Amino acid sequence: MATGAAAAPDAFFTQGIALNQAGQLPEAAAAYQKSLAIRPAAGTLVNLGITEWQSGHAGAAILAWEQARGMDPFDARAIANLAFARAVTQVNAPELKWFETASTWLPANAWVWLAGAGLWLGVGMLTLPAFFRRRKTSGQQALAALGFGIFLLGLTANVGVVSRAEIGFVLKRNAPLLLTPTHTGEVISTLTAGEAVRRVRVRGDYYFIRTANEAGWIQRDQLGLLFSAPTAPLKTARPSP
Amino acid sequence: MVNRMTTFQPLRRPARPPQKVGRRGAARWRRAVIAWWLLLASAGVDAQVPPQLPAGGAALVMTPQTPVDLPVPVTVSAAFDPPTVRPGEKTFYRVTVDSATASVQWPEQISAPTELKFGPAAHGQIARAQNNQLHLLSSLVCAVRPTGAGRFTVSNGTVNVAGRMVNIPAASLEMGTNAPFRPPARQLWLETSATNLFQGQSFRVRVWLPARMGNQIEALRELQFNGGGLITDKTTLRQTGETLTVDGQPRTALLCEIMATPMATGPLTFSAQGFSAGSEFIGPVIFRGPVSFPGGPANYVLHVSDPMTLNVRPLPAAGELPGFTGAIGSFSNPPPQLAAHRLRVGEPVHLQLAFYGEDGQPRHLALVPPTTRDWQMIADQPPGNGFTLIPQTDESKATPAIPFCYFDPTKAKYVDLSIPALPVTVLGESLPVQLATTDAETPTAPPLKLSGLAPTPGHSMASLTPLQLQGWFVGVQLLPVAGFLALWQWDRRRRFLEAHPELVRRRQARRALRREWPKLRRAIAAADTPAFVQHAVTAMKIAVAPQYPANPQALVCADVLAQLAGAEPGDSTAEAVRKLFAAADAQFSKSAPAPAGLLELQADLTAALLKLEEKL
Repeated sequence: MATGAAAAPDAFFTQGIALNQAGQLPEAAAAYQKSLAIRPAAGTLVNLGITEWQSGHAGAAILAWEQARGMDPFDARAIANLAFARAVTQVNAPELKWFETASTWLPANAWVWLAGAGLWLGVGMLTLPAFFRRRKTSGQQALAALGFGIFLLGLTANVGVVSRAEIGFVLKRNAPLLLTPTHTGEVISTLTAGEAVRRVRVRGDYYFIRTANEAGWIQRDQLGLLFSAPTAPLKTARPSP
Repeated sequence: MVNRMTTFQPLRRPARPPQKVGRRGAARWRRAVIAWWLLLASAGVDAQVPPQLPAGGAALVMTPQTPVDLPVPVTVSAAFDPPTVRPGEKTFYRVTVDSATASVQWPEQISAPTELKFGPAAHGQIARAQNNQLHLLSSLVCAVRPTGAGRFTVSNGTVNVAGRMVNIPAASLEMGTNAPFRPPARQLWLETSATNLFQGQSFRVRVWLPARMGNQIEALRELQFNGGGLITDKTTLRQTGETLTVDGQPRTALLCEIMATPMATGPLTFSAQGFSAGSEFIGPVIFRGPVSFPGGPANYVLHVSDPMTLNVRPLPAAGELPGFTGAIGSFSNPPPQLAAHRLRVGEPVHLQLAFYGEDGQPRHLALVPPTTRDWQMIADQPPGNGFTLIPQTDESKATPAIPFCYFDPTKAKYVDLSIPALPVTVLGESLPVQLATTDAETPTAPPLKLSGLAPTPGHSMASLTPLQLQGWFVGVQLLPVAGFLALWQWDRRRRFLEAHPELVRRRQARRALRREWPKLRRAIAAADTPAFVQHAVTAMKIAVAPQYPANPQALVCADVLAQLAGAEPGDSTAEAVRKLFAAADAQFSKSAPAPAGLLELQADLTAALLKLEEKL
């Protein structure tokens, strides 16, 4: 059973590659989605982004590549594709604060383990010798200092990860930015697919977001958050002439 | 007092500052050069000449209109057709004016003897081309039935033609039983495919013009129907020359078939009229059987038919289905055909629809496309029934269903014939996969392009949501905290016990005493006196050892008795303790047998042990 469960994401991943190469892009995207639902992987996200890009979904592609880079900051394909996509769509990368930038150096989960390990290393080096009636050595104290240092660094990175969770990317082309969270709300402006925004709060089916220049409401299905799993194939709309 | 008056002075242009003579002269020189160049340039320009027509071209452009012959004076003729009838027969009173109908004001009533019953008057106009002129002929015809025998004359009347009163000559009709037999006057025969109809239901109207004597078929022109509430489709006109049976006699006639549609409800009375026009057939005519055509110039005669009444019912409002656009009849359609099921946003695709009537002929039915934001729908030009669909978004999974229904008059109910939604796959607009570098500083830089597919899933995680954002992970962080708290508590307890060793000894004594109880019970149950004695003494030593403190093996009977508070020499508990210790000591002697009755001391032993255990 465990073998089958482990083989399923790989099977969907392989199926997605085959469908993509056959030109069946929606089916390939669906296969990648299934693989991600079972076990998210950076390569799957990269391929999903490529498929979405080939399908014309620039916003969904950028979101997938950002998620791939969040999972593996050293994924060369994700980095290159993001640079390419932003050059094509003329949208900027999200503006990160310093601690958010620090959080991008390692995978998001690595920071939490690193901070935890640093904390308990420091605490352990300070307390365990006393418990075991050993004399504290200078090495133990150095290790405790190192642990606390790592913890502090990891703590800021973890704050950055939590802060980055509010970053989202516009999925649909010319997505309307509304003045009020209603479907009849006045349109302030339209957003470009792939544009990075920050979610401020939620009300019903709408997010209040802040872009580089303005703020307003946007429908939930038109925004993909950085750390939210895509639940359905991401679509874009043709702009009305 | 000073009287102040305000005077308005005309605004004067402020004087220009004096310019230098040199600059002014240069400007004049520049304007002169420009004007000179303009003159030179215009020298080579010719005036535009309108396109010239070739010789005789004007005649091709100007089509001469056929002049209309307006005779002066106007000729009016009137006659009964036939002039003699027998009782019960019908004749037609016909007045003909060689002028346009628009200029003829027919009399409201025809002054005639009361024995003549005039039916409704019909009038029409026909044009005849002769000698490069159009001759217009207006005619009025009434069906007349005489009610009595005799000779009747419709006296001279007048008709207003173009503002001038023109006399209508008198016409006589003779009715009598002895009148010579004449064939009845020719009139149009009217026949419909149905007389009980629904509003809007098309039906076929057949108009027959019987042949003249000698089986000569004449053309029927200017066919029209009198009576309101009926529209005809003249594009469906079909003309055939056929032989039909009338009163058992074969008669040759010209049949004109045309489709008509009632637009009003209720009883609808209508009749047909038309001019017999010799051999001047217009449009294709199919002749079946032996026929002949009249020679010479056509004699235009206006004919009418007997009126016919249709019963037109309104369409039922109940049961109307979505998509009803007025189609009435019985239709069928093959499954719709979509040109492609996989397309991109903005890419048009054609949806082929076909409808067939009862006769199997294709029909054009006006389908109203639904309003949807996902698709742009463009209807085909008639008689096509299809649509050109343009997807506006790739969220569409299917083409929009097109509601349509028709009314079946035979079943008197609406029938759904909606076009179902067809599944499609809509892809988004294509995006470039390579971007040429435009950086002039690094012309050799490789162009930005989309990477290839990753061959392996690569680095994976249990969830896209980081651990920091998962609630369970925060809970897991409490485990190390709890561990450290437990370690701290353990250390405190350890230090406390180190400061109070008597607690440890008593706890150890209680633990050892609990282990001795089962051994005692087993020895009693087995009536094993030596084992009973040994375990009893050991238990008592263990129970009193923390009180000194001392190793239990180092204690003797007196130590135990000392802890048994209130143990007197005659006390049974103390006595039992002594006996047990004595027996235990005697076990070291090989010859000394175990005294009997020691097992009976178990009650006293239990009391002693319980008493000692209370002190632990």
